[in-house]
Amino acid sequence: MGGYADMTLQEQMLLKHEVEEFLFMEADLLDSRRYDDWLAVLADDIHYWMPIRRTTTAREVELEFTKPGGMAFFDDDKTVLTLRIQRLSVGRAWAEDPPSRTRRLVTNVRLLSIDGDEVNVGCNFKLYRTRLNSEEDSWIGRREDLLRRVDGGFKLARRHIFLEQTVILSQNMSSLF
Amino acid sequence: MSETIIATDRRINPADCFDPDTGVLQRRIFSDQEIYREELRRIFGRAWNFMCHESQLPAAGDFFMNWIGEDEVIAVRNRNGEINVLLNSCPHRGNTVCRAELGNTNSFFCSYHGWNFDLDGRLIGMPGEDQFYRGSVDKTAWGLTPAAKVESYRGFVFATLDPAAPDLKDYLGWVGRLGIDFIASKGEIRFLDGVQKNRIQCNWKLAVDNLFDWYHVKVSHGTALKLGVVGEESMSPMEQMVVLGEYGHAISGPGISEARYQEAVQRVSDGGEDGEWFDREVARRVQPGVAEQLGALGKRSFGHPNIFPNLWVNLTPQLCLRIPRGPFETELWWFTYEVEGMSEKDRKFLQFMANHIFGPAGLLEQDDGENWSHSTRGAKGSFGQGLPLNYAMGLGADQMRSASDGQSGIETVVSEHAQRWLYSSWQEWMLADSWQDLMASHAMPPTQGTI
Repeated sequence: MGGYADMTLQEQMLLKHEVEEFLFMEADLLDSRRYDDWLAVLADDIHYWMPIRRTTTAREVELEFTKPGGMAFFDDDKTVLTLRIQRLSVGRAWAEDPPSRTRRLVTNVRLLSIDGDEVNVGCNFKLYRTRLNSEEDSWIGRREDLLRRVDGGFKLARRHIFLEQTVILSQNMSSLF
Repeated sequence: MSETIIATDRRINPADCFDPDTGVLQRRIFSDQEIYREELRRIFGRAWNFMCHESQLPAAGDFFMNWIGEDEVIAVRNRNGEINVLLNSCPHRGNTVCRAELGNTNSFFCSYHGWNFDLDGRLIGMPGEDQFYRGSVDKTAWGLTPAAKVESYRGFVFATLDPAAPDLKDYLGWVGRLGIDFIASKGEIRFLDGVQKNRIQCNWKLAVDNLFDWYHVKVSHGTALKLGVVGEESMSPMEQMVVLGEYGHAISGPGISEARYQEAVQRVSDGGEDGEWFDREVARRVQPGVAEQLGALGKRSFGHPNIFPNLWVNLTPQLCLRIPRGPFETELWWFTYEVEGMSEKDRKFLQFMANHIFGPAGLLEQDDGENWSHSTRGAKGSFGQGLPLNYAMGLGADQMRSASDGQSGIETVVSEHAQRWLYSSWQEWMLADSWQDLMASHAMPPTQGTI
């Protein structure tokens, strides 16, 4: 793959289609509770990170997100993500038993940059969760995903998640983004 | 600000809500609107409330927003290096004068009409002072309302709205101080940037009562134990210690015998830190003066302290503040600290605990929320709210003993002594009409005998 700017419009459209198909498929794996299949699309060196967001004045808006290496809601490698998946099947994972019903909407997909076999993709998402009779949670945000081409397909090598909420208006975040 | 004296005129008498002799608690204290309103006035309105750590405000003008009950306050460092706590409410129309949750500022400027306040809360400017007010406003009388008192203990800053409150050190007593000493004795403490905040649909007291609760761990957090995310040894130790402090402070959780402590001292002195899960803490406590400061019982405790009413000081590197948001909602704020000069191994452990164990996405913590919200729901129904709850574990089965240095505690198995102390102290706060009244009426924890 060359640089994005070097590609023809047709090549860009084909790549974007391929990227979207991956993101939609990956979201569907989580919505369908096919968690082991989801783990299989993660690169072994994945970094999965959600910083903490704060309300700041416009003048100090650079303080809005905590920085990499600082405090975060998620700051996971594949080992921790695997634990998050394993916990769902060993029993007594009360946050997800009974299981939540989730639906992920992935939109506004844009190819931000291309470097060799890696595509940096921006998108917006909504993760809707409802559980038990009437409990609802809704998280909207932006993601930056690094997709790496492996064996003709993609693996997710990095996911940075930027939520719109500062105080998480939910009793937990037992869902994956 | 004048002393808070509250007239007693209410439907539900807190004296009827808990019986320490039987351990029976009435569910309505988790759902009743009037009880909640009285808690805001009688507990949060009078207690010393945790604001921040001094390291969060290194420079003049640095501020951090917090709450005293449902009143929003600004903790801010002034130009003399002191920390003020100011009510975030303009005295002109009540509007907030600060909308950011942290940052640095020269002054607090009201976005409604432009009244401007310095870092000490003094009114320093108002549009139309001469033209519209004709110079008639006494600006010294119309500043931001400051907390009645702001004091810090070993860098932990607290504020009270009641000028009649005792000094912070006396309020904390040896148990509240010990809770902070557990952390402060590790070395120079620095709070990290980023407070994890989330809301749970539960009464704030259920969140507080849970921190003393070593009965729920194996069940609520069974998954984390099965996966080995946290050690079985550290999460469900049979040896427990409970210490009780006046005004409702308590520490409950693992506590080892003197013999096991001495073995640990030997291990860490020999250079090992991996013999038992508590060796990591003991390694800090063998530093000169630390064990002496923590005391004969304190040095052997690895329990969970609560600074009454709502600050959980955790030995792992986090503190959790439980902020009431109505009877059915609580905001949890997780603060994280590091110790200056800590080893890379300790730092990795810190980051693992802080980013993966607690907080709303924590592998341990995520399973708590629904238990607390559904326990709150169990107190809501018109029938259910009239039913009792059982807080009788270990009641009358243990001995309170005093050590030679005057510390006293209960060395036992998993129990609900600390929860009973929490609710009997809650009763004292709810029944007292003033600080003078509370100081005279509150119980001193027993120092010996069956408990």
